[in-house]
Amino acid sequence: MKLGAAQTPTASTPVIPVLEGRELTKSFWVKQGRGLLAGKARVHAVESVSIRLDPGRVTALVGESGAGKTTVGRLLAKIIKPDGGEVLLDGRPAPPGRPRAYAAQVQMVFQDPFASLNPVHRVRHHLVRPLQIHHMASGDLEAAVDELLRRVALKPPAHFAAKFPHELSGGQRQRVAIARGLAVRPRVLIADEPVSMLDVSIRLGVLNLLADLRDRENLAILYVTHDIASARYLADTIMVMYAGQLVEAAPSVSLTDRPAHPYTQLLLAAAPDPDRAERPALAAHGAPPSLLAPPSGCRFHPRCPYVMEICKRQVPPSVAVASDHSAACWLHVDPNERRVNETGLPATTTARDLLDQRN
Amino acid sequence: MTINSTSLAGIPPVAGPTAELVLRPTRVLRLPRSPKVIAGLVILGVFGVLAIIGRWIAPYSPNATDQQNWVRHVLVPGTGAGTGFPASYYPLPLPPSAAHWLGTTVFAQDVSSQLLAATQATMFVGLLAAAIATVLSVLFGVTAGYLGGGTDEGLSLVANVFLAIPGLPLLIVLADYMPSAGSSVLLVAAIIAVTTWAYTSRTLRAQTLSLRNRDFVEAARVSGESRVRIILVEVLPNLIPIVAASFLFTALSAMGAYVAIAFLGLAGSPTSSPPGLWNWGEMLREGFANNAVRGGWWWWWAPPGICIALLGTGLALLNFGIDEFINPRLRAAGLSRRTAKKAGISLRSTLGMTPVAHRRAVAIMPQVTAMRPEPSSVRNAAEPVLTIRGLSVDYGYGDQAVHAVVDCDLVLRRGKVLGLAGESGSGKTTLALAAIRLLRAPAVITGGEVLFHSKPISGEEPAGTIDMLSATEEQLRAIRWSEIAVVLQSSLNALNPVITIGAQFDDLLRGLARAGEVLGMVGMNAERLRSHAHELSGGMRQRAMIAMAIALEPQVMILDEPTTALDVVTQREILEELIGLRDRIGFATLFITHDLSLLVELADEIAVMYAGRLMERAPATSLFHAPRLPYTYGLLHCFPPLHGARLAMEGLKGSPPDLRDLPSGCAFHPRCAWAMPRCHQDVPTLAPLDGSAREVACWLHRGEANVPAELARPDPLPSGSGRSGSIARVGEP
Repeated sequence: MKLGAAQTPTASTPVIPVLEGRELTKSFWVKQGRGLLAGKARVHAVESVSIRLDPGRVTALVGESGAGKTTVGRLLAKIIKPDGGEVLLDGRPAPPGRPRAYAAQVQMVFQDPFASLNPVHRVRHHLVRPLQIHHMASGDLEAAVDELLRRVALKPPAHFAAKFPHELSGGQRQRVAIARGLAVRPRVLIADEPVSMLDVSIRLGVLNLLADLRDRENLAILYVTHDIASARYLADTIMVMYAGQLVEAAPSVSLTDRPAHPYTQLLLAAAPDPDRAERPALAAHGAPPSLLAPPSGCRFHPRCPYVMEICKRQVPPSVAVASDHSAACWLHVDPNERRVNETGLPATTTARDLLDQRN
Repeated sequence: MTINSTSLAGIPPVAGPTAELVLRPTRVLRLPRSPKVIAGLVILGVFGVLAIIGRWIAPYSPNATDQQNWVRHVLVPGTGAGTGFPASYYPLPLPPSAAHWLGTTVFAQDVSSQLLAATQATMFVGLLAAAIATVLSVLFGVTAGYLGGGTDEGLSLVANVFLAIPGLPLLIVLADYMPSAGSSVLLVAAIIAVTTWAYTSRTLRAQTLSLRNRDFVEAARVSGESRVRIILVEVLPNLIPIVAASFLFTALSAMGAYVAIAFLGLAGSPTSSPPGLWNWGEMLREGFANNAVRGGWWWWWAPPGICIALLGTGLALLNFGIDEFINPRLRAAGLSRRTAKKAGISLRSTLGMTPVAHRRAVAIMPQVTAMRPEPSSVRNAAEPVLTIRGLSVDYGYGDQAVHAVVDCDLVLRRGKVLGLAGESGSGKTTLALAAIRLLRAPAVITGGEVLFHSKPISGEEPAGTIDMLSATEEQLRAIRWSEIAVVLQSSLNALNPVITIGAQFDDLLRGLARAGEVLGMVGMNAERLRSHAHELSGGMRQRAMIAMAIALEPQVMILDEPTTALDVVTQREILEELIGLRDRIGFATLFITHDLSLLVELADEIAVMYAGRLMERAPATSLFHAPRLPYTYGLLHCFPPLHGARLAMEGLKGSPPDLRDLPSGCAFHPRCAWAMPRCHQDVPTLAPLDGSAREVACWLHRGEANVPAELARPDPLPSGSGRSGSIARVGEP
């Protein structure tokens, strides 16, 4: 297995992403108050998130719970409809609704393998149904099921096909769930926290399976996770979300080695890391904001240790801090340009000054 | 939370060659084999057989009558010879005899024949009504629940209207309104069904609502499954237990309703036109109308009465069985009491008191040894405060016992953090909670001793040693929370939702002044005392729980995955606060987690558990940089690093074992890369490793084999410098 084998698509060879989300925006309405006076409040779950999935690459979406990463995954799987923005399949707008043709291209793996398999059906049923729905196996269903189970390393296949979900361990169940996703030979797999419910010792096995599928079958994978270390291990590109917005995107090693956004830095500092010489001092505290009334300007500004006046008022633009490394942070905007935006307030520190202190 | 992957089913390892290719037939509804269920099935079976074959085994037709021979003719007093009145006789029913097993009625009819015919009709009406009602309720309930929105509101409204209609009165009015209706069993069944379906429909709607949002339904939707198939194939099979239970319940109430209206004479009697069917209600009506009770002709009215009672009992018993099937807690409670009795353990344990069985007597330790209180300044920081020796804990009794913890030793020292690492199902929580006897039956402590060397940090309580396993409930209650506090992963859900945080502190501290101070210690604003639990985030709630745990300055703090449900940033903040508190208050900490990488940063000493046994114990830095146990080595390589080159990692092969079916010898040997023949046979025990402070349970280190280089790295220097190194990754040259 090779990790990170796939190269970043460069400008000279433009690759059309298999699946692309442009400026995706989604709000949910929740009830507030009780009884007759109950009103509805709007939760800004995802705000103009653009994301691309390329064949043979794993893109990780990292963030805390409530950051909107699962919502992005579900928008791309077209389980829910975006309020704004569009989903492009092979560069063309995906058809409205969720037709079967779309299901044949984009599949999803859920977080909890204990809930995503129907307890009353055998493994075989879970694998046969997608094949039947999409008329994939014209004839020998058994052979197709065997083949699928072999692809996710469940051997002997006949043994596992006859099992009920409760007879399998967590890792085996998640493999079955992945096999179900692969049944229709999709080109995109959206994996929503596929290992977070699994035992530590079997997580790597599932991650390696995903890496293997990417390499062997040229699958485009979206890996949604809260664990930045596993994202670094598996993904080619990491995108960090905070409070419904993308804050940083970069190839995984450069993002974890040289984080450009203060939130990414916080996330990395907080992650368990036994290699660290001493316990990290967190630069920021507090919790993510309520998405009912997100903070103005940059949503991270109430927690940001480098907060400036402009951060409170204006949404930061996405800035390229290196080639294919972008961060949505005012620190990386040229001070002069920032001053123009800031209407009169002088910028005293530069981004590099601040970030060099940290690294 | 990591889900317990050693689930209750037998799991062969992924690559396991144990191909068990014989398919066992599935039983969707596997009822617990309890006496209740068996009795219910027997009763129902007998009635069922009687209903079917009654027609053929009945000695006579239910309407057959023989005015000459089937009644006793009694002369009416004051008539006959010598009175001037012509002799007049009145009939008296015959008591049971060989010719008439259940006697006869005043109408000179055979009771047993009537009873058999009545059984058939009553059961037929009951089952038919239940079938109609079930079809209606599934149709309405599942459709409403699955489709939701406007459809749901419309269908629910219909169901609610039917629910509001009082069943029996409606039945009486309908039966009375259409006199001929009573004679048609189909109509009677339909009327009963219409008045009973709505209740089940609501239950099914609620269940479908929750099933609809389950991932497997979503997954079916993602794979392009049609709506009808999702309802029929994915959702409905999961509702079968509920449908079955409600079918039985409706059948029971339908039979009751049929008997009731027949007793009132509204179900058409066999003599009316058109004639109704014989049923138990009709038999009772005839009996009561003709003085059967006052006449002492019990054989006329008792059999139908007993039949109603018996069939009702049978159905109810079966319903209990299904209830236990749906609700495993009920089942576990019933089973454990029985098996405990069988194994000779008396379970008089109260809530929150782990029973202790077959325990070796503790040799010398008296219950409370008075010790001279020392000034706190002299207190040795590393003196033991909780000593666990040879603790063994079983779940279940006798042959069914699962050995969750076997022969474990741990020592908690003042001001130190002992990390207990292991995967789910390895017994780490069981070990910790059993030591303070918080587990309830069927957990049983089967051996070992736990000594709590109490030396209160503040307060007047005397110092002393308490034997936790022989302590009385009162002694335990006195030290729990005040001296030994526990914070669980789920603790954040343990706050009372209806009273404020402050009120809960008030309960604990009798005064709010200190509550604010304690909240401040965990980084919370004192204003939060006025909040309710739902107004706080998960991290805040867990902080509030920790604040409550430290409020009484405990000597021991047991933290069981306290931050697993929280985000990394919150986790880090809470851990920082915990370390600060530990330094200030000086409690001993037992920190349980599956996240070994977190533990390495946090703990002074780490113990690794696998399949119920302690397998390695070492200072944290030693364990991290120079693990001696193959399992620890593998576990450390399950966490991808945050730095350096990205290299493929293998982790551990296979999955954690099933405690009910452990491998022979060392439980880890099927997953171990260095397993030797001996590992397949003998269980290694924890033993000190060549004079160092560390202990390991592995045959590789018993001098018989060459220790692999990976497991023989030099111990890091005891000072803090050890932390700066990096473990060598798999695949590194």
